[in-house]
Amino acid sequence: MRDDGFALRLSGVSKRFGKHTAVDCLDFEVPRGVICGLLGPNGSGKTTSIRMIMGILGPDEGTVSLFGEDPDAVRRTKVGYLPEERGVYKKMRCLELITFLGEIRGLRRGEARRRGGAWLDRLGLPEWADKKVEDLSKGMQQKIQFIGTVIHEPELLILDEPFSGLDPINQDVLEEIVRDYHAQGTTIVFSTHLMDQAERLCERVCLISNSRKVLDGDLKEIKAAERRGVVAVEFEGPDTWIQGPEVDRIERKDDGLHLILKDGQDHQPILNRAVAAGVRVLRFDLIEPRLHEIFVRHAGDGVVGDAGVPEGRGSVYSGRFVRSGGD
Amino acid sequence: MWHNVIAVIRREYLQRVRSKWFIAATVAGPLLMTAITVLPAWLAIQGERDEFRVAIVDGTDVLYERLAPRLESGGFEVEEIRWHADVVTALRERANEGDLGGFIMVDELTLETGEAMYYSMDVPSGLRRVTVQTSIARTALEYQLEQRGVDAEGLMGGGVLEIEVISEAGSDITEVEFGLAYIGAFFLYMTILLYAVAVMRATLEEKTSRIVEVIISAMKPWELMLGKIMGVCAVSLTQMAIWISASVALFAGALPMIIAARPELANLESIREILPGIGLIALFVGFFLLGFLMYSGLYAAVGAMCNTDEEAQQAQFPMIILMVVPIVMVMPVIQEPNTPMAVWLSLFPLFSPILMWARVAGGGVPSWQVFLSFVLMALMIWVIAWVAGRIYKVGILMSGKRPTLPELWRWVREA
Repeated sequence: MRDDGFALRLSGVSKRFGKHTAVDCLDFEVPRGVICGLLGPNGSGKTTSIRMIMGILGPDEGTVSLFGEDPDAVRRTKVGYLPEERGVYKKMRCLELITFLGEIRGLRRGEARRRGGAWLDRLGLPEWADKKVEDLSKGMQQKIQFIGTVIHEPELLILDEPFSGLDPINQDVLEEIVRDYHAQGTTIVFSTHLMDQAERLCERVCLISNSRKVLDGDLKEIKAAERRGVVAVEFEGPDTWIQGPEVDRIERKDDGLHLILKDGQDHQPILNRAVAAGVRVLRFDLIEPRLHEIFVRHAGDGVVGDAGVPEGRGSVYSGRFVRSGGD
Repeated sequence: MWHNVIAVIRREYLQRVRSKWFIAATVAGPLLMTAITVLPAWLAIQGERDEFRVAIVDGTDVLYERLAPRLESGGFEVEEIRWHADVVTALRERANEGDLGGFIMVDELTLETGEAMYYSMDVPSGLRRVTVQTSIARTALEYQLEQRGVDAEGLMGGGVLEIEVISEAGSDITEVEFGLAYIGAFFLYMTILLYAVAVMRATLEEKTSRIVEVIISAMKPWELMLGKIMGVCAVSLTQMAIWISASVALFAGALPMIIAARPELANLESIREILPGIGLIALFVGFFLLGFLMYSGLYAAVGAMCNTDEEAQQAQFPMIILMVVPIVMVMPVIQEPNTPMAVWLSLFPLFSPILMWARVAGGGVPSWQVFLSFVLMALMIWVIAWVAGRIYKVGILMSGKRPTLPELWRWVREA
């Protein structure tokens, strides 16, 4: 079978429900071994896209391929899936549920049982093995379900809103596990609207809004492309040097002054002026746009049909946006 | 692919067999059936326990010793009172003090005509009246026969009647056959419905809990549906095996008691007559199995197309009708098993499990009709599997409102 180095590739995928178009001509690929975030507001088509990847919905147009192959052929054994709406057999005992989920993913019964036991130990739940799932707290049920998702050691993990509904401690636990899998070379795709998490975890992102992709690619590259425009400075001495032809305006913030540059202008001349003025510079920081800001910028104003990175709109980082820490 | 189906079957089976419900239903099922059939009679007798203490005033000196055992075996508690002038007044007083339920007076006239007097605190039930009346008449008859040197025991034992059915349609039906046909039909109705609904509820639960998304991403919908139905089927067969072997064990244990109570049953032939044969039991299981497969397919489709219990309650209405029609027709079909209507109704696959069973257990059905009904049911299962499988495939992942009939038809066509 041809292997194109991509764990996942969607080509021109569309899905309509009656008159409503849930996903519109989505092109999107994830190289092997990468953590990729699928970002978008509620109702933007993330879950529909994931369901098409998982074969739960058939696309009206376009194709999905997994590891360069027909998805139906490899999905069962190579992919692990955690749906957004968490479902478990409540009356089953934990270890049996995990064993069953492993079995239908192609593991032998004994092997599934053994791995399930090991996982319960790892997550500190060994005494729950023979308890019924319904006796567990919601968070614990999610852990059980997560074990069921990874029990067959999939090469690709698809997690739909994995962090929602978890308390901060368990979010950290899950984040740690995701990093572990990434370190082992597993490809991970997860959808979220929690920008903090995505920013910490993702190497790639795909931003969906109103059923269409507005932005995707390497997170560092996206940030670099969006970075131009704002410099935060703190200094001791005169402030004459901060005014110049490249500066559009200046804003006072908690962390010092923000110099907002005109489109396409470089920050280097400002630094040169500061040195020339003999100012003691405490901080000269190119402000990285937070993912949240990029998200709001592209999805928040409902940009439709404007795919790709808009060029040099430096003025958007003028503090109109809520800092992502508040999310 | 069978790996998946087997995993689903095993999960379903173990989960159900270990549940408290299964144990409760296994114990309660036969109890319930027994209760429905036996309880009314038992209650009628139980209600008059207090009235069963009677005194017998014997004016003959020969009747009491013969009458007492007969009444005792009929559940009475008897005591002998010598005749004296004030005996009626005295016994009336005792009865009104609650000491007696009543008293019976027999005298020389009783020996001649069987007439006797029964003073009772209440109006006796038909059963009690007949017991007393026949006990007295038989006792008198037995005494008279003995006086004339006739073998009373053989005649009184009820005699022997050999029966051979000579009519060609052969609609003669014994009480035992009637019981088997009638109770069996009800039992089939209850078990098929119970387990088909179990399939529906399981499907609905998987759908509403959303675990179905995880499962369907690992297997095809038909694998899940087949595994589900087979798993519940295995549970039902387990339950039947328990019921049948428990009945056999109970019967074997109770046999000495039955023979002690009714010595005329002591020879094997007459015992065999009141027992259903192996062939009949196999047919029963066969009708159940095919009936279950037909209805569970339909119920799985209903479970897949609904989102809530309430919706499912409404959507299963057509199936309930399909099950109730044959139940309504059971009585006429048992009584007249070979009318054209009975034949056609019992050959309609969705009615066959109940109506063909009723005809077979009643006796006198050509075996080609039974065979044909099984072929038709098998064909029906195939049709249902095809249609229901398509509805299931679409419905199991669908949320939102329940589909209308035209929408359902589109699912079937497009799936």
